[in-house]
Amino acid sequence: MLMMRRRVGETIRIGDDIEIHIAHIGRSRVKIAIDAPPGVRVVAREAHLVGEQNRAAAAAPAPALAGRLAQALQKFRQASAAGADMQGEVHPGHRRRASRTRARQDAG
Amino acid sequence: MPQIETAYFGRLAYDDSSVIEFPAGLPGFEDRRRFVPVELPEYRPLIFLQCVEPGGPCFPALPVEAVAPGYQVEISPEDLATAGFAPRRQPVAGREALVLAVLTVAESGITANLLAPVVINLAKRRAVQAIRTEGGYSHAHPLEAPENAEVPVCS
Repeated sequence: MLMMRRRVGETIRIGDDIEIHIAHIGRSRVKIAIDAPPGVRVVAREAHLVGEQNRAAAAAPAPALAGRLAQALQKFRQASAAGADMQGEVHPGHRRRASRTRARQDAG
Repeated sequence: MPQIETAYFGRLAYDDSSVIEFPAGLPGFEDRRRFVPVELPEYRPLIFLQCVEPGGPCFPALPVEAVAPGYQVEISPEDLATAGFAPRRQPVAGREALVLAVLTVAESGITANLLAPVVINLAKRRAVQAIRTEGGYSHAHPLEAPENAEVPVCS
């Protein structure tokens, strides 16, 4: 990956028709002005991720969706109920589930 | 009462007053503006955000508080304006705003998008999918417990 140091007001050029201008540097954020041809999609990485995720969310077929969600919700409710009974907190079941899931990810 | 043909609910009749407007659409669906929340008793607390435009998508969602207790909303000034909230003040979830995490059902499991919650302005019935820039939340937070999870035992 190419690294470059730039100051406020300086510009980076990519190819023949894309320019990235450092407009402002704050304490933890920079403001960047991007000049690109109309056909080039410029979007923050998060927005791209969310767009992909939304497409996947809307694409799940109805029967699979309903069945899987019903199952997941059943477990979700059971875990919440078990947690609430044991500890008398509002959502301990959810919290426990979250940490367990994380543990699984770490192990895998 | 207007009706719409949907993929999941068949023909759905809805009241115009229940429509939630997304002035900026949702990422990936920028041209989809009008949605109704559909709740089915057997799937509570699930909320289906059904687009009421022809051929529109449907997003299953859960309140973020059910997915991640203690979740703090953090909405940019631009997104606050889009949803019709006052600038520079975060809305109170549950009172002023309904905050939902969109769910994705995939082979590998169900995930919730905590990176970009759907924030609905309850008073104005306007909404935005507010992408966070900080906070470390995932766009694919695992929702399901592993199949072989042990039931916690009281000691």
